[in-house]
Amino acid sequence: MKRKNWYLAAGTALTVIMTAWTVLGFFWTPYDPSARSSADKYALPSLAHPFGCDYMGRDIFSRALEGAGTTLTIAAAVLVIGFVFGLLIGALCGYYGGAADALIMRLCDAVSAFPSILLALVAIALLGRGKYNIIAALGVLFVPSFARLVRGEFLKQRDRDYVKSAKLMGVSDLRIIFVHILPNTWPVLLSGLTIGFNNAVLAEASMSYLGVGVSPTEPSLGYMLSESQAYLLKAPWFTAFPALVIILLILGVGLVGEGVRGELGVEP
Amino acid sequence: MAEPIFTVSHLNSFYGRGKERKQVLRDVSLTLSPGEALGVVGESGSGKSTLAKSLLGLVTDIQGELVVNSPRPQMVFQDPYGSLNPAKTVGWILEEPLRAAGVKDKAERRRRVEEMIALVGLSPEHLARRPARLSGGQRQRVAIAAALIQGSRFLVLDEPVSALDVTLQAQIMRLLADLKERLGLSYLFISHDLAVVYQLCDRVAVMTGGEIVEQGDVDYIYDHPQHEYTKKLLAASLALDG
Repeated sequence: MKRKNWYLAAGTALTVIMTAWTVLGFFWTPYDPSARSSADKYALPSLAHPFGCDYMGRDIFSRALEGAGTTLTIAAAVLVIGFVFGLLIGALCGYYGGAADALIMRLCDAVSAFPSILLALVAIALLGRGKYNIIAALGVLFVPSFARLVRGEFLKQRDRDYVKSAKLMGVSDLRIIFVHILPNTWPVLLSGLTIGFNNAVLAEASMSYLGVGVSPTEPSLGYMLSESQAYLLKAPWFTAFPALVIILLILGVGLVGEGVRGELGVEP
Repeated sequence: MAEPIFTVSHLNSFYGRGKERKQVLRDVSLTLSPGEALGVVGESGSGKSTLAKSLLGLVTDIQGELVVNSPRPQMVFQDPYGSLNPAKTVGWILEEPLRAAGVKDKAERRRRVEEMIALVGLSPEHLARRPARLSGGQRQRVAIAAALIQGSRFLVLDEPVSALDVTLQAQIMRLLADLKERLGLSYLFISHDLAVVYQLCDRVAVMTGGEIVEQGDVDYIYDHPQHEYTKKLLAASLALDG
């Protein structure tokens, strides 16, 4: 029982480091991330440029710092939209059940049946490019999976005796849902959030990689990967370092989620 | 004579919907007088829990007459693991019924919680704990306190000691008898165990297959069981006692 939870420890450490990295990128970068320098084109990693330079002579370290911020902001916003609406829909459907629940869940199934990147591409085609459109499109697509997760938990909890007891005491339905039941679903929601976060980071990266993501003036990690693919053999560091930042971000949060599940004995 | 706590006559209760709808209670008639403890005995599936839930409005698919005169009847469940919210502290669990009843003043709520926790034999240090950090007997005490704190004088006790070991059973039974005496409570006590019912109850109703097959004073039924099923139950509980 007292076995040390390495997943949680390593994940937390990594997440703290990557958060610090991202926050640092908001305030400070060693060079202007967009400044070109013909002398530094394809520069190898060195003391002056720890991650080397890209095909325009821009400092990859600075761009990876700024890019992490862009990627993380979008991922966080997507997650908030997906989580808040997913929570509301899932909680109400799971608690009340009935015909409305059946209808809404079939709707969620329908949305989930399509690959989410494909739907996001359609949405971007209709709405146009840009950071906020990506957030809106991906956010809506994240709602069904959260709704299903929350609903499942509420279904499990709603027939427990403490809920009946609260009903007998005259506690209102909304208070039962959000004050009595919700805290008992946190362990599962928390691990769902970590998985959702990682999917959101990957979704942003994929969108930018496909060229329908953020605008070129605002580097994201996915956009950097997309730019670098033509130079994979000539300047592998151009691809390697943004990829490494993505991997570390996801690995840290993923380990935290795994650790939380282990700690609370939640089945994945 | 005082108005009965509840009157049930010719009650039929149903579970499920459409084709799955099944009749669980058949023509059940029963009343409970103030200050009385009425035992309902039967095996699992006999309909005794459904009777309790019908009385409390947790089963709504019913036919027949059902009048409950006691305000806010409460229920103490068999498994205090499930009936106490695992995410909350004992203090919060006991304050919540007061919040629901509209007691706005925090100091007043605190005072009543401390009064109640003492009444069920726990101490204020238990208030900061979560249910997982209490023993089974302590949990059941908290559940009883939560059921009483809104001022209810009628409790439905659904197998309240079946999940506890024998020493704890005796303690909780004593607490229930003591509270009944001091607060003038009325109980509907549901159990599969005639011996436990005999300790606490004045009257007993024997249920099987959703029907009451026999009811009367506990002593009389104990000594002169009429129905075959009651005789079987009695034999079983005597065999257990050795």
